[in-house]
Amino acid sequence: MSDTSSQSIPAPEQPTDPPGAGRRNVLVEILTAFLSFIIVAVPSTIGGIFFLDPLVRGRKPKGDGGETGGLTGFIKLPVTADSIPADGTPVAVSVRTDQDDAWNHYKDVPVGSVWLRKTPVGKIIVFNSVCPHLGCSVDYRRSENDFFCPCHTSCFTLDGEKTNDIPPRGMDELEIATATDGQPNENGVELWVKFQNFRSTTSEKIAI
Amino acid sequence: MNALITWLDSRTGFKDLMHEALYERVPGGARWRYVWGSTLVFTFTLQVITGFMLWSAYSPSTRTAWESVFYIQNVMAFGYLVRGIHHFAAQAMVVLMAIHLVQVVIDGAYKAPREMNFWLGLVLLQIVLGLSLTGYLLPWDQKGYYATKVTTNIMSATPVVGAEVQTMAQGGTEYGHLTLTRFFAMHAGILPAMLVGFLALHIYVFRRHGLTVHDVNHAPETNFWPDQVLKDAIACLAVLAVVMLLALFKGAELSAPADAATKFDAARPEWYFLFLFKFLHFEAVNRLGITFGAIIVPGIIMGIIAMMPLTYKFLGNLGHRLNTTFIWLLGAAIVVLTAMAIIEDNNDPKFQADVAESHRDGQRARELALGPDRIPVEGAISLMRNDPFTQGPRLFFQHCKACHRYNGHDGRGSLVTEIVKELVEGKEVETTVLTKPTAVDLNGFGKREWMRSVVVDYPAHFSWLKNSGWYKQAAAAEAAGTEVTYLDPDNSEMADWSGSRDSLMSAENADNLTALVEFLFAEADHGFQPEDPKTRGDFTDVDVSLLDKGRAVATEGAWAGDLNGTSCIDCHSTIGQDFVVAADDEGDGYPTMAKYASEAWLRDFIRNPGAARHYGEKNEMPAYRVEKLSDQDLDLLIRWMTGNHLPSEVPDYGSQLNAFEVVAPQGAADATE
Repeated sequence: MSDTSSQSIPAPEQPTDPPGAGRRNVLVEILTAFLSFIIVAVPSTIGGIFFLDPLVRGRKPKGDGGETGGLTGFIKLPVTADSIPADGTPVAVSVRTDQDDAWNHYKDVPVGSVWLRKTPVGKIIVFNSVCPHLGCSVDYRRSENDFFCPCHTSCFTLDGEKTNDIPPRGMDELEIATATDGQPNENGVELWVKFQNFRSTTSEKIAI
Repeated sequence: MNALITWLDSRTGFKDLMHEALYERVPGGARWRYVWGSTLVFTFTLQVITGFMLWSAYSPSTRTAWESVFYIQNVMAFGYLVRGIHHFAAQAMVVLMAIHLVQVVIDGAYKAPREMNFWLGLVLLQIVLGLSLTGYLLPWDQKGYYATKVTTNIMSATPVVGAEVQTMAQGGTEYGHLTLTRFFAMHAGILPAMLVGFLALHIYVFRRHGLTVHDVNHAPETNFWPDQVLKDAIACLAVLAVVMLLALFKGAELSAPADAATKFDAARPEWYFLFLFKFLHFEAVNRLGITFGAIIVPGIIMGIIAMMPLTYKFLGNLGHRLNTTFIWLLGAAIVVLTAMAIIEDNNDPKFQADVAESHRDGQRARELALGPDRIPVEGAISLMRNDPFTQGPRLFFQHCKACHRYNGHDGRGSLVTEIVKELVEGKEVETTVLTKPTAVDLNGFGKREWMRSVVVDYPAHFSWLKNSGWYKQAAAAEAAGTEVTYLDPDNSEMADWSGSRDSLMSAENADNLTALVEFLFAEADHGFQPEDPKTRGDFTDVDVSLLDKGRAVATEGAWAGDLNGTSCIDCHSTIGQDFVVAADDEGDGYPTMAKYASEAWLRDFIRNPGAARHYGEKNEMPAYRVEKLSDQDLDLLIRWMTGNHLPSEVPDYGSQLNAFEVVAPQGAADATE
């Protein structure tokens, strides 16, 4: 555009005011600049808000365990309490539930996996298998009898405590409840877990 | 600050550029007539902004395109506005381009030395039309799908390479995922890149030759900034205001998800192509073939426009006059053809019904997608295919309307008519007359009013049957003394019973009648369709307190007065029981009323109306065996009739019953007495 053709006049250093201008011209310039700003700002703002949709729109609370008693937000696991080894060996179980993805609704799909383990006193504890470091999957290492993440060698005891400084925090323990026919019951064998994922790399456990 | 600007200028030379851009000479002063080019650049900017935003949420495939546009439109923050602006700004661009072209021609801005720029402008025009065309398909809704199908079929009429051009555009011989990915690549990538390139050339050449000044002595010479920019900005603001108002209050429509298996007769191109649509529909044009009408003629017109600079060069002022006359005539022809197309459509009841159905389907698709089950991975198309509210009316139209009506219409809101040829003064005259239904109007089937009407006014309720050929034949034969077995609404045991009107309608039986109707209604067990679908729950609106009494009336004859002791069960021995498929030799000789009008009853009845448990030898309804009506279709039809589907806020088709006043049953009036 800076090409000067034979037809265009040399660009003046200062704008050449047409006769009879002056103060009026300044007002016109301000008005023009303002209007020009408006016509670009309006669509840009609308577009900007649209782009920020994931931040500005309220999120629907998760809760697919149904309205059954005190188990709202809990998901039933495909194993029963009596099938977890009494010797404390952890068991990996995949968690299935309905899932929303933007406009789609998927019925009964895997959404993650958990490690289940019976403590010496017979209590069942459950960990999200996602490593709190950078989100790989934590394995059970039989040789060392610990949890171990193959990506960056995070290590955890079977109680979920970290044993080296690679992960920022211990494994993420989840709430678990026993139930009979969907009703909470201390002696029930159904296992219901409140499945959540947590932000990685933070020393605090922050649900996402 | 000044130092920074100086430094930046010494490294980039931006000051010169700004001067070049802003201090262009405007001889004769700033004029409103110069704003059109700027409004076009502005509209394109709008399209770029909103287009990039839409791109961030759009997913081009046949199972996600409609779905993502639905999501943009109905769920995302300001989505309807972003899409609305993009939709209407696209139309504004076509209008502004037409104005710009006319302006250029009448001002002679195409003349030497600006021929090149004129041609560049014509290239831009083609690109913008290409953007409109490709964009129309992207939502993958019925409207865009069927309209674009027409266009790609026109492509196939291109001489020599037609089929190849079409296959290439579609990404295959049929529409599918690749059609969308290719159209999207054209719409969001290739065409905009070309547009930016040609626009840069267009503006560069424009600046090289300067404005085509209309009248040098109009006002003192000025600069582009700020006087002309102010006028341009105001014009752009006006364009923005119009586009925003349309986006806010009209909104871009999203019709039902595209379905190659669902007929869509409401297809029309975007309104600015209606003239071409109308042109192609002239019989004379039609006879010359699609290649002539859709390719050769538009090609010649574009050719004449492109030749305008040469016309002027060789014919001088005569040439210019020819050019302006041509552009005005073309404009007038477009206006007239567009108006003709619109007026014709407005006066075409068939087209209007198709449009109404298109809106109905569009709203319903939105309702289903927002419903509790949202959209399955098979796509929104499966929601529509499995929706009784959508498919029921169509199945009724296909299978039932030959005899039945629904609220007086054919299931899809239109009257059933036929063309009768009469000889008037030796000439054959065709008149459209209403076809009389020969079976009961099924609106309200199984509801309280229906049950009440059957009980209290059986002859009137079934009087529609008397329009049928079999009835007339049988009645005539009977009158002639032959013994015939047929269903005569006026002379049957039920009619006799229903004939005890005085007792039935007496005050002492009022409660009994209400209870009986409630009992029959509860037995049919139709889905509850509340006024406000949001209040839907797992309940019905049956008045449970009446059911014991109603059952006693039906099975024990607990009436007062003359009717006492007569009960439904005297003939319909299975009333009040669950519906079971009784063998033909086990019946009581009367139609079973076991769960009459319920889903189970309907499923058996429609498949086999002539069974002894139903109408037996008096039956005239054809049996809808599985070869004729698949299990899935039967299920959809029944669920529609019994209201077993997601409730809808979409209004039902209006009643057409007033067209039948002459033959309307009396029962309905009596029931409200």
